[in-house]
Amino acid sequence: MTAQDLAQDNRLGEKKWRRRSLWALLVLIPLTLAVEAYDSVKALLVDNDLFERRVAWGESAHFGGSDWKLTDLRGAFGMKNLPPGTVPVLADFAVTVGNPDLQNLWLGCKVMLIDAEGRRWLPTSAVRLNAPDNVQTCISAIFSGAKTGDVLNLRETFLVPKDVTNTIRPAVGVGSERPYFLLFQMEKD
Amino acid sequence: MLESARSRLKAWAAAGIGTAAAIAVAGVLGAFEARHAQVPVLAPANPIETGQWLLQPVKAYVSSEKYIYGTLRKPGAKALVFELDMTNRTATSTKDYFELLQANQPTIDPATKPYIVLTRDGTLSPELHPGMTERMAYIWDLPDGAAVPASLDLNVMSKIYKQRDNLYGLPGWFNPSAIGTLDVPVGPAPDNAEGQP
Amino acid sequence: MRRLANLVLLLVAVALCYGLQMSKPHYADLIGPIPVRGKVGDVVVGRSFEVRVEKVQFARKLRADRYGETKVLTTGGVWALVTVEFAARDASTVVSTASWRGPTRLTYDHTERLSFINNGFLPVTVDPGLQKKARLVFEVRPEEVGNATVLISSKLLAALDSQAEISIGPVAASSDGMPAGTVDTLDLTQPVDGLPK
Repeated sequence: MTAQDLAQDNRLGEKKWRRRSLWALLVLIPLTLAVEAYDSVKALLVDNDLFERRVAWGESAHFGGSDWKLTDLRGAFGMKNLPPGTVPVLADFAVTVGNPDLQNLWLGCKVMLIDAEGRRWLPTSAVRLNAPDNVQTCISAIFSGAKTGDVLNLRETFLVPKDVTNTIRPAVGVGSERPYFLLFQMEKD
Repeated sequence: MLESARSRLKAWAAAGIGTAAAIAVAGVLGAFEARHAQVPVLAPANPIETGQWLLQPVKAYVSSEKYIYGTLRKPGAKALVFELDMTNRTATSTKDYFELLQANQPTIDPATKPYIVLTRDGTLSPELHPGMTERMAYIWDLPDGAAVPASLDLNVMSKIYKQRDNLYGLPGWFNPSAIGTLDVPVGPAPDNAEGQP
Repeated sequence: MRRLANLVLLLVAVALCYGLQMSKPHYADLIGPIPVRGKVGDVVVGRSFEVRVEKVQFARKLRADRYGETKVLTTGGVWALVTVEFAARDASTVVSTASWRGPTRLTYDHTERLSFINNGFLPVTVDPGLQKKARLVFEVRPEEVGNATVLISSKLLAALDSQAEISIGPVAASSDGMPAGTVDTLDLTQPVDGLPK
């Protein structure tokens, strides 16, 4: 083999590999984008309540290892010392504990009210109403040490404008089920 | 075969010469001298400029009060208090003064973190605002039964400004280094019982 | 010839890279807060909250309740008290930071000396459709008062989130250098929304 043959061989090989590399980019660039975006997309899905699962009035739904049922949603009208045009709303749930590992399954538990426009209200600390001793909030229930089969009475208190009281629906999201959340329907829906 | 060996040798030589040149340039620019430089002794009577702060030492004393500017100590315990006027020289509010003064003497373990308090109302380590001079107190708890030191020996630290850091591309103050030592005589405790919460 | 062409190409590439480096916005600018501008009285609508500045007052001292005891807070400059009304847009949220940017772009963060008050001061939880009043309190140099801007955002590093920038407009100075209309003491012991605590 002469030096000239070698050079020609090299040039041919170079060409072939250049073409292969360019074709490989077609696969590699989308792959890179997917790998780079993976964490962000995962965070977006795991941190947000995006997709609703509707629960009909009076029924219970399996969520975060337990069975959730909305028992009551009512306004506490006529309270004093509140900003004008606002009303406290109480949402009561009865939760039958299935998997007792609430500290993992219910992590980041969030109860909210959603109105017809999709606006969301979180529980308030501005209103304190007396509640029976066995009533807990979602967060305090996590640390209650409840066992399988126990029924937890959860109550969250909200403060909303008076004009949305007809359209608000309670909703529940927990860390282990996101991006899905439960949206409870009322009797009249 | 011979061809490729020669080109490899050439590449090695180029890399070697490049590295040597880089080290030489760094040496000329003084990269290796900072480590050995002696820091000057600062006079407590004069104002001290660090990158972010203008400092005017006021007084140092040992106090056995229960509350010193709102900070609580056990009965019988003593604390070494250093008061100084601090002015933020930067354009934004900051509390980047935790590493500013480092105690240097045998009675205070350098690992002991001082309380840093605004003497005006006893707020614990508040942000200080641009161009507003405030009297601050650094309060080191003294170990039980420690002798009252005759003087407080401090390292005064300074940082350098970078318009963009390498991680976030944001401006900030980095790389603390000592700009001098400060020896403040420890005087008698002031009479007025100050700093009730 | 070919070598010369390569050299020219290299120089063009260097010039292009330098030009890009000089002219392109930096990472911090790209991911920084997105300003929403307005003036006193306007409703400034951001991504997660809206805010309206009701009034701006200046004082030499503040009176506030701390653990049931009334305290008077002094300052080396002047207290600027901004009364605002917040509301959330799509979901309940928290507004937690504010700064005062003076005419020379010195930035004074919201004071940390009032952190013992937990109602009507930052951080404020706001809900959709519910107006909520709050007080923003800054400690500033008197000459940084006129033509200042109040910056309000949900969190400290509001990357890619909106930041309300509300211009205060000119403020006349009185003969002693303080802003016109500076009162001696402002009382913060009464709740800002007039409702009992």
